[in-house]
Amino acid sequence: MSDLMPGPLRGALTPDRDSAPWWERVRRREFAVQRCDTCRTPRFPARAFCPACRTERWHWEAVEPEGTVESWIVNRRAFGPGDGRPYVVVMVRLAGVPGCLLYGSWEAPSREPVGGERVRGVFVGPAGEGPTLVGWEPVVR
Amino acid sequence: MGYTPFSKDSGVSTLTLACRAIMAALDDAGLAPDDVDGLATHRVGDSAAPSLVGPALGVHDPSWHLDQFGGGSVSHAVVGQAALAVAAGVAETVVCYRAINARSEFRMGGTGRGLPVSPEVQYQAPYGFFAPPQQYAMYARAHMLRYGTTAEHFGRIAVTQRASAARNPRALMRTPITLDDYLASRWIAEPFRLLDCCLETDGACALVITSAERARDLRRPPVLVSAAAWGGGQSHLSGGPADPTTTAAAALAPRLYAQAGLGPADVDVAQLYDCFTYSVIVQLEDYGFCPKGEGGPYVASGATALDGPLPVNTHGGFLSEGYVHGVNHIAEAVSQLRGDAGDRQVRGAEVALSTAQPGYVLPATSALLLRKG
Repeated sequence: MSDLMPGPLRGALTPDRDSAPWWERVRRREFAVQRCDTCRTPRFPARAFCPACRTERWHWEAVEPEGTVESWIVNRRAFGPGDGRPYVVVMVRLAGVPGCLLYGSWEAPSREPVGGERVRGVFVGPAGEGPTLVGWEPVVR
Repeated sequence: MGYTPFSKDSGVSTLTLACRAIMAALDDAGLAPDDVDGLATHRVGDSAAPSLVGPALGVHDPSWHLDQFGGGSVSHAVVGQAALAVAAGVAETVVCYRAINARSEFRMGGTGRGLPVSPEVQYQAPYGFFAPPQQYAMYARAHMLRYGTTAEHFGRIAVTQRASAARNPRALMRTPITLDDYLASRWIAEPFRLLDCCLETDGACALVITSAERARDLRRPPVLVSAAAWGGGQSHLSGGPADPTTTAAAALAPRLYAQAGLGPADVDVAQLYDCFTYSVIVQLEDYGFCPKGEGGPYVASGATALDGPLPVNTHGGFLSEGYVHGVNHIAEAVSQLRGDAGDRQVRGAEVALSTAQPGYVLPATSALLLRKG
């Protein structure tokens, strides 16, 4: 599988008023989630209300971008910009936030992911621009 | 109920398609546009609204209408709401329709349109992840990893439904295929091949909803709405169920069955939303036809074929008949219960389940249990 295209594809990035501070942290290479001030439940993606206790007070908390591979796909037709090579999108179960699945680019183009393997988030972006996205690489290469 | 022909290029507007399907449905019921006092559709900004379709057919002041935003997940909720409107006495005769140029004008497959406007898209689109076949392929792989579901299981869905479509004159794809044909079809997004993906179709389909009492006086045998349910939250926001191998249908199914006083064993024929092969497998589990994780072996046993214990997608489904965003599934269920499904008729069909997109992409689904009148 050495023909995989690495890195994110750079489709539209469209932060909203809830998420803009999160994307700004990613730009500074910080991986953070919200933590509820009332009941301490962490949450992601960004939003105002805690779904556990329905209160609005919270703070950002940097966490290790660690998780496990829940699934992945190998895109073999053009779904967006890119150089035409197949690319992998991975679904990661985040270790620090129970019940949270998130998506990202696969940053080990020499092989596909393995189900359940531990992965670590890395900050990625195209050359000449700051890192603005989160990709994932295996903990054990 | 009524249809337009299905094609890859209708050559006409969605307004024209809607009017043709509605006229066909009214003719089928022995009614005229002047009898209609309610209009309902679902759409994603891609089709003619009731406010346009009503006046176009000279229905200038319907007492009830519904312009439901949404894709396949709300398709059956539209009929459920029409039934509520009739039951509440707000309208007497409602036409539900879906008109779609999903191949020639507005493709659902991820090209030729903008991204849907919803906050979660920002966490997906930058990685080149946004099209329905990608999203469903992701869930399908999770199911394969956890339960051992295989490509051959997916293939059996495609092969079985094509065999049914071969008996359906309306179906766009009627040439039988084999498992080898399926396995040889080109990759789209692994684990999905071309033959895992539904058709993109131009066409329209319409249904007439009225009281059971009135339906008995019309031209065709009536079909009763025994249960209509929607909801069943599933989302990938933290704090939700976050199980990619289970859909919103798992939460919805118990209250759907309870409404009708029926269970999975009472269902004679099921039209399960088949945007992709895998969605049939996960719904067989979530609607209780087999234990969780055993949808693949259940299909491989031949259970869902026309001559099996639970014929599924007897018209060929979206995979082989055509894609009218959920409404052609309801129409096929009606056809089976009326006993006019021709060469693909399931003998003695009394109860049919028809389902919407099971709530993977948006966190809700909808479904109907229909009964022979």
